[in-house]
Amino acid sequence: MSRPARPGVDEAMQRLVPDVATLLDSLNAEDYLADVGLATALFLAVRLPQPILLEGEPGVGKTEAAKALARVLDTPLYRLQCYEGIDAGEALYEWNYPRQLLGIRLAEARNVDIDETDLFGSNYLLRRPLLQAIEHPGPRPAVLLLDEIDRADAEFEAFTFELLAEAAVTIPELGTVQASHPPIVILTSNRTRDLHDALTRRCLYHWIDYPGPERIAEIVRRRVPRSAERIAIDAASAITRLRTLDMVKPPGIAEAIDWVSALTVLGVDRLDARTVDQTWGSVLKNRDDLDLAGSRGSAWVVGGDHG
Amino acid sequence: MAEPGRSITPTSVEAAALAVGFMTALRRAGLPTSPDRAARLADAFRLVPPDARERLYWTSRVVLVSSSEQVPVFDAVFDAVFGGFLDPADSRGDTNAPPAIGSEPRTRPTAPDNRPTGAAETDVSPRPSAALPGPEGQADQSGPEREALLLVASAEERLHETSFADLSQDEIAQIRQLVRRIVLSTPERRSRRTRRSARATERLDLRRTVRAAERSGGDSIRLVYSRRRPRLRRLVLLCDVSGSMEPYTRVFLSLLQGSVAGAQAEAFVFSTRLTRLTRQLATRDPDQALARAAGSASDWAGGTRLAESIRRFIDEHGRRGLARGAVVVVISDGWAQDAPEQVGAQMARLRRLAHRIVWVNPRKVAAGYQPLAGGMAAAMPYIDSFVSGHSFAALAEVAAAIRNDRPAMPGRRQHTTSDNT
Repeated sequence: MSRPARPGVDEAMQRLVPDVATLLDSLNAEDYLADVGLATALFLAVRLPQPILLEGEPGVGKTEAAKALARVLDTPLYRLQCYEGIDAGEALYEWNYPRQLLGIRLAEARNVDIDETDLFGSNYLLRRPLLQAIEHPGPRPAVLLLDEIDRADAEFEAFTFELLAEAAVTIPELGTVQASHPPIVILTSNRTRDLHDALTRRCLYHWIDYPGPERIAEIVRRRVPRSAERIAIDAASAITRLRTLDMVKPPGIAEAIDWVSALTVLGVDRLDARTVDQTWGSVLKNRDDLDLAGSRGSAWVVGGDHG
Repeated sequence: MAEPGRSITPTSVEAAALAVGFMTALRRAGLPTSPDRAARLADAFRLVPPDARERLYWTSRVVLVSSSEQVPVFDAVFDAVFGGFLDPADSRGDTNAPPAIGSEPRTRPTAPDNRPTGAAETDVSPRPSAALPGPEGQADQSGPEREALLLVASAEERLHETSFADLSQDEIAQIRQLVRRIVLSTPERRSRRTRRSARATERLDLRRTVRAAERSGGDSIRLVYSRRRPRLRRLVLLCDVSGSMEPYTRVFLSLLQGSVAGAQAEAFVFSTRLTRLTRQLATRDPDQALARAAGSASDWAGGTRLAESIRRFIDEHGRRGLARGAVVVVISDGWAQDAPEQVGAQMARLRRLAHRIVWVNPRKVAAGYQPLAGGMAAAMPYIDSFVSGHSFAALAEVAAAIRNDRPAMPGRRQHTTSDNT
């Protein structure tokens, strides 16, 4: 029943991630609280194997999911942060030219013959994340995180995908590097632009929903160990309430963590209107949002009786 | 939930049949599906046996859905297909409640697109740079000399400043001669390729420098620099040809025609529906082209479905690469039958694709004009440049708005309207 869908998923992976429930527990043990949907998505990404595109509002833990998965699999995470104009030299490999020049000079000084094959050997190669992930020797595949792929140009998107589909890189001077353990690919996008249909067609997809107050409180407690349960729950429900307003930058999990950290440092153990007034800055980071929340009043934010 | 470790539940035959049946239902509902996805789903069911509703739901959703907009359709189909059976007690645990069956058959009918999409890679050919009169259109007898004369002749000045709506038929014909010669030029973007640079740039091409050094026995005599090869951004024009725009339509069509020939632009017209005119306008004989254009756009001078037209443009053309990183020019007075919030929503989508959005609204020059018409007001936040283009002189403003470049950084939203000079 649980035979690998494709060759290439070895026994170790099957043992490590036998089913969705186990992965869910493992992620939990790594302090990443996933829901069944995300666990299913990551499970399939590992076991099919198939690249997965994670989308969701900023701050719902897309990048963290990849990091947690790498920890669960006990395998390196190679992260490529995309930006407009990123190119192969920054993503794949680049020759270490200063070192090559030095090599030429040294050879000259020592009166040794040096030819191209020496200069373009693997010693002189600077490996960028894509190549590192493909070259990863195992025993388990690496996790390759292409973060915010929507920021890169459409051409780069296509180039990357070509490469990952082949799971091989051809370096003219060195030859072809074929992946022995093709990486588990996780892409994230903040939807600043639509991705190419070709890319979405090849990927699994999961939209990470914004978690409810209980889960936020749980996440906060994990991330701010010294925080009291009471204050984490208070802050989580206040943030959930704030998110019902039409905000420019709705507060997310990061803000919840910042806020509870601040409150913990301040020695506050119960959230009330006064403490909210003092700590707005940890939660809302936009003038309009502050005005909007201010008009509802801090009493409303803490769940006071005056609506 | 307790995972029944080694349960020998549905056979893979059933799983495959399930996958195929479900996919058929999804395709009918307008979700893009393909055989490789069906195969992938069957594989996925082998790994996650669909013996509980929750597992079936998540597994198929992760494999079959490729954007969050598709989730409601997926949910509806899922409920329609698996509604009655399969362990109803096992809740799906999802927050988004599926809508009633059949309430929303298709939010956006995405056309099946199984071809490798390389559309963004087209037209690398060099284009006439800057705003020189294009050499195209030899059929035009007047020639550049005549045009130059027309431009400098002060007697014609009045014509240049007058709104197109106030010109006589003859004057319109004259102006159209001029308008057709305007060559719109888009800003450049850096392509991923580099070329050698004669001048010193911030980017030293070490690869070439080292190669050159080898040739001279290891001494780097000459530093080789590189620079990104520039490419002109694509230009897309969407022209409103509804009744309210009628006084201006003829002239703007000449502008479209000139752009298609000179700047390899893509031209569309819309009123109640969207029509792509690029091919018709690319022919040599301008009048014939206009006649053909009138022939294809069946609803010449009707009402305007602004939001619907933009949606059609994005779904059928823009997303596939046409609008990606392009300068999109919308020529419309913003009077629309659609609800303003729909216009806003579609403009937001367009904003995510395009590099710049220029809106040309000839009504803008009217004294005390405020962009309050529902559709126009809704579109304003997504526009980079708001210009009038109501007269020949004002078209210079349009050209400037198109040319104007600003580094396209991801956080570029500047919801202002500038370039009113």
